[in-house]
Amino acid sequence: MKKIYLHPLPIRIWHWINAISFIILIVTGLQIRYRELMGLMKFKEAVDIHNFLGFVLIFNFFIWLVYYIFTGKIKIYIPPLNLKKFIMGSLKQARYYGYGILMGEPNPHHSSPDNKFNPMQQMAYLAIMMLLIPLQLGSGLLLWDAKMFADWINLVGGIKIVDTVHVFLFLFFTSFIFVHVYLATLGHTATAHIKAMFTGYEELEEEHSH
Amino acid sequence: MSEEKAEKISGKSALGLVIFGPILGMLYVCLLPLIALMTLLLVLPELASAKKTDILENSSICMGCHSSPDFTKTFKNKEKMSVFVNEKDFKSTVHRFLSCTDCHQSISLDNHPGSADAYDGKNAFAVAAAAACKNCHPEAQLKAKPNHGFIANKTNAPPCTVCHGAHTVKRISEWKPTLSSNNQYCLTCHSQKISKQQKNGEMLSLSIDPSVLAASVHNKHACSDCHVEYTKTSHPVKQFDSNRKHSISVSEACKKCHAEKHKAVSESIHAKMISEGNLKAPVCTDCHGFHTVGPKATYETMSGVPCRKCHEDIFKIYSKSVHGMAKAKGTHNAPLCSSCHFAHEVKVTSMSEKIKGACLGCHKDAEAKHTKWLPNASLHLSAISCAACHSPGSGKGIYLRLYDQDTGKSFTEEQMLKILGTTYEGLSNKIDPHGDGIESDELWSLVSKMNEKGTNAKVTFIGRMDVSTGSEAHQLSFKKNAVKECENCHSQESEFFKNVTVAIVKADGRLTRHKAKSEVLGSMFSLLSLKQFYVLGSTRLKGLDWLGILMVFGGMSVPLAHITLRVLTSPIREAKRLNKMRKEDKR
Repeated sequence: MKKIYLHPLPIRIWHWINAISFIILIVTGLQIRYRELMGLMKFKEAVDIHNFLGFVLIFNFFIWLVYYIFTGKIKIYIPPLNLKKFIMGSLKQARYYGYGILMGEPNPHHSSPDNKFNPMQQMAYLAIMMLLIPLQLGSGLLLWDAKMFADWINLVGGIKIVDTVHVFLFLFFTSFIFVHVYLATLGHTATAHIKAMFTGYEELEEEHSH
Repeated sequence: MSEEKAEKISGKSALGLVIFGPILGMLYVCLLPLIALMTLLLVLPELASAKKTDILENSSICMGCHSSPDFTKTFKNKEKMSVFVNEKDFKSTVHRFLSCTDCHQSISLDNHPGSADAYDGKNAFAVAAAAACKNCHPEAQLKAKPNHGFIANKTNAPPCTVCHGAHTVKRISEWKPTLSSNNQYCLTCHSQKISKQQKNGEMLSLSIDPSVLAASVHNKHACSDCHVEYTKTSHPVKQFDSNRKHSISVSEACKKCHAEKHKAVSESIHAKMISEGNLKAPVCTDCHGFHTVGPKATYETMSGVPCRKCHEDIFKIYSKSVHGMAKAKGTHNAPLCSSCHFAHEVKVTSMSEKIKGACLGCHKDAEAKHTKWLPNASLHLSAISCAACHSPGSGKGIYLRLYDQDTGKSFTEEQMLKILGTTYEGLSNKIDPHGDGIESDELWSLVSKMNEKGTNAKVTFIGRMDVSTGSEAHQLSFKKNAVKECENCHSQESEFFKNVTVAIVKADGRLTRHKAKSEVLGSMFSLLSLKQFYVLGSTRLKGLDWLGILMVFGGMSVPLAHITLRVLTSPIREAKRLNKMRKEDKR
């Protein structure tokens, strides 16, 4: 069994802090928004937890940013600059998920520390990490103290706009988590990717030598 | 010799007679008329007075009884009256030349009102007796003076004797010097029960209780200090449309000394209402009285506060509030009406920042205390009225008010009318065309009309949470009864969000309320019209809820669909795997 060291420790810690925070933020967010439908905790408790974890995520985001920029590994998020290559790679990957995987074909993408994501993942994670997460953290920060950030809120168009952005992204992340978790089970075994996220080592399917 | 001497002497005396006789004769002839004249002049007044004195003396029959100080008469109504006439006093009056029967014409020895039944009472007697005055002082003479004119025409006018006295009548010229320095001159009449009629038939009492005037803070003033047009020589006859118009008019006099207060009042909602023709609004005299003006403290007591006269319903609520109870207990700094609303510059306080300023004026640590337990305390305090949480049992609602986005100030009804080119009556129709409560699209179309190019306006609605009525803002209770649970507001079930009002503010602070449907808060249109108003959980967009259900369902269905496909295609993969294994076995 061949193993490659795919997830360095800081990234594993970052990932699991993110994961737990996301879940709790989703639950407390639902509690804040749907008071009359849920009674898991008091409104104020929900807000306090939500605020706290919001700051945890802001801090966590910077751990991720600093780590990837200083190690130079940020490039794994950058799709190939060659557009044709990128489109072809994406189509190949899409074909695999839509057809190849069903037909028992191997995954066209082989993860390595330098080339961790397939082109579709690159596209998705780049947008998430560089646009959607900062937007979510930023809008959350504005809502956290609407009076202090009143000028910023007005610049964006009003508190209802900020809230709508925050809630829309919350809906996106919530639905994304289902897909994310499912995709994590599509390693050569159902738990291969998940194990790797704990140990750092991804097991590779042994290829038969001819 | 002696004869010679005698001759000489007789000669001398003859010469004296010849010389002095004519001189003395001339002197006598000339002086006699002079002496006679002088004697006459000296004696005439004596004669005159002697003659008049005679008349009183002729009344000696009357005075035989009436000079007794204890002599009284009892009327039908058991009233007692002294019938004593002080002869000495009478002799100093202007009427000293008259005899008793000149005035008391119906009284003679044969016809003396000995019986107590002759008159109902003291007043009836005085009225009958005073009728005699007109014998010498005819109506025309009386009516020449307006102050007399008023009185003389009254059916129940006080008899002359009330002001002038019965047996002590003095010349007016004798009155003036002694009474000019104080208000007694005016009070001579105005302490009586006198009144006048306004154009609308209302009667206005002109009576002033001297003791009340003396107890007022204005007791050092002369009547003419306020009643500037009235002097001893000038007494204009004024008639107002109504008593109300009279009060409004006389209140102008106060500004002579109280210019600052008068200016404050002129900027108040009360003055504004008067100027709009609402004469019910108070003027100076409504709160301070006319002649009863008391010191400031008079108006700062539960019983003396004049606001009650019109706002009794609110006062009742106030008196049961934490503030009213403290005031009633005598707590020195407990607020009364004017503490929050101010006494003179009374402004409309509905949902204004000013009233919050009044609360925080005393409760200086309010924000710090709220910060201890309330997240975003400052934001909460700016969007929620104090009463909304501190008036238990009050109705609650959301009030949407237009603000100018650039200046942050209220956008007034007047400004709206200008932009929309409509009238006050037309505005209601523009805001709520169907008259069934403002709907979300109507609210949005209003905002977009206001913000159209060319209007130079940039307006937005901001929501405030408040109690439903002004009265309820007064039922403030103890701290322990205040709302503290977040869920009270941060839930769509909250009472606040079921009661939505678009409140258009006039330049003077008054509000015009237009009912809105509660759906305006959560409609997608609100993203455009209410983008500055959001309450966690309570004003959430309905559309976003549905989108959320769709997205989460979508997120879940991707794995489910893929798993289904994988299950369905597993025989293919199985066949392929077996094929592969067979190939390898063949090798």
